[in-house]
Amino acid sequence: MSIVSKFTVRRAEITVAVFLALCSAALMWKSAQNRITWSMEENMGAGFIPFYLSLGMFICTVITITKFILKKSPQSTNNEPFIDAVAFKFVSVTIISLVVLVFAIGYLGIYFSLIFFLGFYLRYFSEKSNSFILIFSLTTPILTFLFFEWLLKIPLPQGISEPLFYPVYDVMYGSSSLFMKWIYIIITVLSPSALVFLANRFIK
Amino acid sequence: METFALLLQGMVTSFEPLNLGLLIFGCLIGLFVGAMPGLGSVNGVAILIPITFIVPPTAAIIFLAAVYYGAMYGGAISSVMLGIPGASTAVATVFDGRPLAVKGEAMTALTAAAVGSFVGGTVSVILFTLFAPPLAEVALRFNAPETFALMVMAFATFVGLGGDDIPKTIFSILIGLVLSTIGLDLITGKPRLIFFNIPGFLHGINFLVLAIGIYGIGEMLWTLEETKGRVQMSKLSVNMKEVGRAFSALKKTFMAMNIGSFLGFFVGILPAAGATPASLMSYGITKQLSRNSKEFGTGVPAGVVAPECANNSASTGSMLPMLTLGIPGSPTTAILLGGMILWGLTPGPLLFTQQPEFVWGLIGSLYIANFFTLVLNIALIPAFLMVLRIPFAILAPVIFVLCVTGGYAPTQSLHDVWLMLLFGFGGYMLRKLDYPVAPAVLSIVLGPLAEKAMRQSLILSDGSMGIFFDFGSKPIAAVIMYIAIVLLIMPAFGPIYRKIFKKA
Repeated sequence: MSIVSKFTVRRAEITVAVFLALCSAALMWKSAQNRITWSMEENMGAGFIPFYLSLGMFICTVITITKFILKKSPQSTNNEPFIDAVAFKFVSVTIISLVVLVFAIGYLGIYFSLIFFLGFYLRYFSEKSNSFILIFSLTTPILTFLFFEWLLKIPLPQGISEPLFYPVYDVMYGSSSLFMKWIYIIITVLSPSALVFLANRFIK
Repeated sequence: METFALLLQGMVTSFEPLNLGLLIFGCLIGLFVGAMPGLGSVNGVAILIPITFIVPPTAAIIFLAAVYYGAMYGGAISSVMLGIPGASTAVATVFDGRPLAVKGEAMTALTAAAVGSFVGGTVSVILFTLFAPPLAEVALRFNAPETFALMVMAFATFVGLGGDDIPKTIFSILIGLVLSTIGLDLITGKPRLIFFNIPGFLHGINFLVLAIGIYGIGEMLWTLEETKGRVQMSKLSVNMKEVGRAFSALKKTFMAMNIGSFLGFFVGILPAAGATPASLMSYGITKQLSRNSKEFGTGVPAGVVAPECANNSASTGSMLPMLTLGIPGSPTTAILLGGMILWGLTPGPLLFTQQPEFVWGLIGSLYIANFFTLVLNIALIPAFLMVLRIPFAILAPVIFVLCVTGGYAPTQSLHDVWLMLLFGFGGYMLRKLDYPVAPAVLSIVLGPLAEKAMRQSLILSDGSMGIFFDFGSKPIAAVIMYIAIVLLIMPAFGPIYRKIFKKA
């Protein structure tokens, strides 16, 4: 029996309930760093509301744990695996790749990180050809760039790759006509497909 | 008469080139988002809010309302074809829609869903026009104590929304409220719950971060687990004979349309009830009242029409408390409400008098969106089927890209992206253990409003909680508060009632 199949719904229920109880207690402690008292004479302390809300959370988790001990909740008697092995592979790889993606965004910048993320994800999970994966992973960041930076004027993080975008900004905000800008956009969007096509044609 | 003139003006507003273009575009996106398994109107609206910063507020809300409306139609498509509800609002559509498709009557099911949605949408828009102004006048009498009482009532209705496990539902509400208190205190200005002294927490937690985390990342993880990266497609033939048969099957669904439309609207109005419970309730009641109730679940058109009428009707219904009282009737309207606040509009009683062009532009556009979505829905069925052929392993990373960029864009902070991931994983885990997540999203939106109303009221009353229960000075607040308390206590007695009825 693998570790995944040993981790039953029953175990997950109590683990999560205890974890949430600890989180609630931590929130109460954190709230108590501000004044948590309130009376007719003095204004409500800054910690009053979060403290009592966290206390409510704590009470809810205690009830959940009690129901578990008394076997009153459906999860407390469910000995099926929390997640099956195939689904676990999908979910865990997705979670890890997303965490790596966000780390990479801070360092490499979003556009280059997306190329690696999409390339890895599609290579790992889909059965598509390398050409498709390459075109897809290059075109998506280009479209994201055009949508956010050009259309919405929202700069996304570029990390160490920022200098590479200066020539692109020169074109975007430069004096060339709108027609020329559209030509640049079309060439940029189509370039990954063209590159892959040429590579397939000439590189054996 | 004045209402009619305003409505006409509203319809003219929605026919302005920019508004009409956005309306049709919104309907299209909504249909697409709704048809995507794992993405519902709430995801569409949450992800698309940043786009609307480039257009005026009236155009923005018309666009998002069209997305909302389109998604209500679109949700049925994957419910029928794949047996996976395209959105939570289309869960009930699966019950009879899928068996119809399996029987080879997918066309009947899709037509029933489209026509049902249209009827539900039309009835609800008429009801909206008749009831919105009087309700807005009543709403004008709402001050801080009344607002707080209403918020408490909204939280009380969340308890019923969550499901059978009341402690888990209350936990979900409370965690949403605690998250909404992070940041600077309203009155004293002191920082609250700044974990590990990370400065990102000082500006509080944006509701979008939680919404995209739970409904974007969390829902994707959930769907990946269910589908394991694949999507299996059922076949669909489209010809005139099938279309004729589909329409003739609708003759027997008159009762389902009525129940769905009216019940849907009134459930939609209730704070925090929204389209999902409305569609489930309509399905249940139609089934109970039907002469051939035993056939439900085996593939009857009435079983598709009832929930589809209800979810469209409820989506309009939930706009009413959002616009008149500032209380969202569903997670999607909660996000729309957040959007309105971001655009500098104050939802609530004064919106009808101060921003009539905004309100009637929205209502007018609802009429028009309803018509356009029906046309688009029927015309685009074959095209949507092609999109649904995309395996989830390809669809999922694209949606993750949208989530990451959507989480970053509003505040330009990676801190929010990390939080979004955390909420996504947390929401997925909690959902697997039957913790309802919708109340948390509703609470994080309502939390700051409720806290402000409560603290203003307490300043008015010199710190006495009596202001919320005094029939003499604040009758509306008191009545609402007592209703809220009854609503809050009622689910606790549910098991006792059931025991008594069983014995009887």
